[in-house]
Amino acid sequence: MKLQLFAAALAATSMIAAVGAASAHGPTRQKVSEKIEINATPEKVWAVVSNFQDGGWIPVVAKTEGTGGNAPGAKRTLTLKNGATVDEEVAKLDPEKMTLMYRIDKVDVKVLPVTNYSSWLIVTPTGDGTKSEVEWRGAFYRGFPNNDPPPELNDDAAIAAVTGLYKAGLDGLKKQIEGGN
Amino acid sequence: MLMATLALSGTLPARADEAFITSQPAEMLSIVDLASRKVVATLPIPGKPAGIAVSPDGARAFVTSPDGKALTIVDAASRTITHRVEVGGGPLGVAVHPSGSPAYVADWYQHRIVAVDAASGAVTGEVKVGNSPSGLAVTPDGALLLSADRVSDAVSVIDTLTLTRLASIPVGARPFGVTIDAAGRRAYSANVASNDVSVIDIAARKVIATVKVGQRPYAVALAGGRAFVTDQYDSTVSVFDVATLATLATLPVGDYPEGIAASEDGAFVYVANWEANTLSVIDTATLKVVDDIAVADGPRAFGAFIRRTGR
Repeated sequence: MKLQLFAAALAATSMIAAVGAASAHGPTRQKVSEKIEINATPEKVWAVVSNFQDGGWIPVVAKTEGTGGNAPGAKRTLTLKNGATVDEEVAKLDPEKMTLMYRIDKVDVKVLPVTNYSSWLIVTPTGDGTKSEVEWRGAFYRGFPNNDPPPELNDDAAIAAVTGLYKAGLDGLKKQIEGGN
Repeated sequence: MLMATLALSGTLPARADEAFITSQPAEMLSIVDLASRKVVATLPIPGKPAGIAVSPDGARAFVTSPDGKALTIVDAASRTITHRVEVGGGPLGVAVHPSGSPAYVADWYQHRIVAVDAASGAVTGEVKVGNSPSGLAVTPDGALLLSADRVSDAVSVIDTLTLTRLASIPVGARPFGVTIDAAGRRAYSANVASNDVSVIDIAARKVIATVKVGQRPYAVALAGGRAFVTDQYDSTVSVFDVATLATLATLPVGDYPEGIAASEDGAFVYVANWEANTLSVIDTATLKVVDDIAVADGPRAFGAFIRRTGR
């Protein structure tokens, strides 16, 4: 599903030249939140989610390379199955609240049509503590920094791409953990 | 009117100030009573509302909607919308003249400031500034309007009487919020990309100091001789002494702290946390967060969002 999104975004390459520096963006930051319940203890889920040096639970990721573990400032480069890369950096780690916050330092808007992206992974116990809920939250601007964006780089496109990424990622996480891999 | 006011003051306790908080994704204005620290009213505002300015007499609130390309004028006491003004472009920052009118609206995309009459909602003029004007502030005497021109790395000085641009002052990289002190002498711009605050001597039209703060500073509030700066990426408020420029504290607040404003007596500073959906209350005497008030999703509150109600 995510590969389809990335492929759809690839069709937008003609617009890429018009996009300015990554620091430029319009006035409206977007929010996305997706959740999933996983039949495993929060500790077990957090161990996977907080391992910043292995993004393998996100189905589209082929390879993770990085440095610094999961401490603030740790870096990783995700190589996707289509060959594209995403550079990311840990912003905050709070093991007590089982919360990891990280940012994208560098991504082409044809891969993910967003700028100034940051996200949170939060694990909370459910029921009597034998199950977990994972929330994946994101904050970002659309891929096109100016007014009246083309459809493939507008707010809806950014929200759809991130929502698709989160749904597929959380499904992958659930399958990996519940499947006992 | 006067009699009604007198009658009310005889039967009711003095009302506390209020905070008018714009929530961008929720498309909502949350009105917070600052004595009880509770949301006492909400008002839907379409077009992803971001900027806010309340007139000094507390009569009106002005809200920008960048996606709706509009300015909404709100009767603050009755919580009703009196005008929705199509200003075009990408209205973001807003400030109101100390007399209560006009309101000045920064157009992020068309690099100009638009003046809007508060009572009629009529556009009365405009002035070209630098690229992507963001925060606005008017000097207490009403003579000058300052505009943080984000992409030009400069602050414009505008004569309000003639709507002419008098100067462009180079500041740090990507200034966003700009705040003027009570004496009208100095202005402070929060520079998103250089992670600092420029201290501007308004009369001299130049930067006289630069103060390092946290990552991606957004806006500045002034209280009791101190500057309080929201650091979006650090989820903190940096506090420094405006006389010595020494850093006094770095206070953890919610994620993506953005709009920030001080109470009239300077006892409290209020911070809108965009990601956490809260309004943090900072006690300026102890420099501690003493409360977090839940507000609608994505509070931005970019501007002078405190409404004075006590007179």
